[in-house]
Amino acid sequence: MSFLARSSSFVRFSVEGELPDNPLEFLADRISSFVFEDIDDTFEEYSVGWVSVLNMFDSAFAYGSHLYGDYVVLSLRVDERKVSPSILKKFTQKEEERIKKEKQVPKLSRTLRLEIKERIKTELTRKAMPVPAVYDLVWSLSESALYFFSTNKKAHMLLEDFFKDCFGLVLMLQIPFTTAGQLLSDEARQARLEQIAPEIFV
Amino acid sequence: MDLVDLITEKRFFGQEFLTWLWWKSEERGGSVELEGQGDIIVVFEKHMLLEYGEADYNERLVCSGLQTELKEARTGLRTGKKLEQARLRISKDERDYNLTLGATFFEFRNVKLPKTEGSEQTAQSSDAELEGAVLEKIFLFEELVKIVNDLLRMFAEVRTSEQWPEELARVRAWVHKSADRV
Repeated sequence: MSFLARSSSFVRFSVEGELPDNPLEFLADRISSFVFEDIDDTFEEYSVGWVSVLNMFDSAFAYGSHLYGDYVVLSLRVDERKVSPSILKKFTQKEEERIKKEKQVPKLSRTLRLEIKERIKTELTRKAMPVPAVYDLVWSLSESALYFFSTNKKAHMLLEDFFKDCFGLVLMLQIPFTTAGQLLSDEARQARLEQIAPEIFV
Repeated sequence: MDLVDLITEKRFFGQEFLTWLWWKSEERGGSVELEGQGDIIVVFEKHMLLEYGEADYNERLVCSGLQTELKEARTGLRTGKKLEQARLRISKDERDYNLTLGATFFEFRNVKLPKTEGSEQTAQSSDAELEGAVLEKIFLFEELVKIVNDLLRMFAEVRTSEQWPEELARVRAWVHKSADRV
């Protein structure tokens, strides 16, 4: 769900680790090294990278910078060729039947069946159109906080891995307990927070 | 402790926060005083998810409806359930925010920001207008998060203070009164 849409959903991460002394140059360099590469005209199964938040086809950031004031604003685009299990099963069985007739045998060995399945999967994957998914993010450099506009757990894991590969920084999901720990200024209260046990409200 | 364990072990904290916030918002008819910032409006409306217990013993109760008094949810509180998700309207300085807040992962779902002049940007907008609109959106998202964090801080402060038993007694009295009203 886009960050610019009328309604959007997000979670917050803290960004752990330090940026180098020349942060803006570093960011520009890392982002351009990890931009999205289109796979529509190739046989690649999967592609992930940065695009402009204003246009998912703009990985050169021609329509707008990735930098807005003190914020890095990007979209993470993932394209993946997928074959549904039922389609794979159907075409694998069809090919097995064809080979059985051709060889005039009642059964195929397990090894051969696995080979057929792998071959059919490769053929179908090549024919499948890449399915795109786009997730927006806003990274506040001064607060070392990142808003990620998806509540999908798989997308969170993908972001955490890709962000670490790209910038060498670790993202930590902010949950109420950890956020409260940061909000409490006094150490005694932080220590008490660690010790609290669930209460019954009735 | 790694994050996955921490989420499981401390999910009660977010659920207690949401449940406490429901009480806090009803204590003064929807008005909540933020320290040093005056009153804001916090209203619980039309959608709630309550939970009780863990893993195989987990029970969930979904309540929704535009004009309901959230009767089932109030009864749910009486049976020991706590809020896992709630639809909220928060108003500050005449700016209205609508969101569904998730207790375990601190998810801000289906957030609707206040309407502003910058909300209506089109493809024909100039670069400067677009940049202004993006920055305005960020400002509003940050303001919303700051308000929720201020409310969370209020809860965390009282939850870790010696006043907590008194506050808990007030919340319990409200739970009983709420359920009796149904």
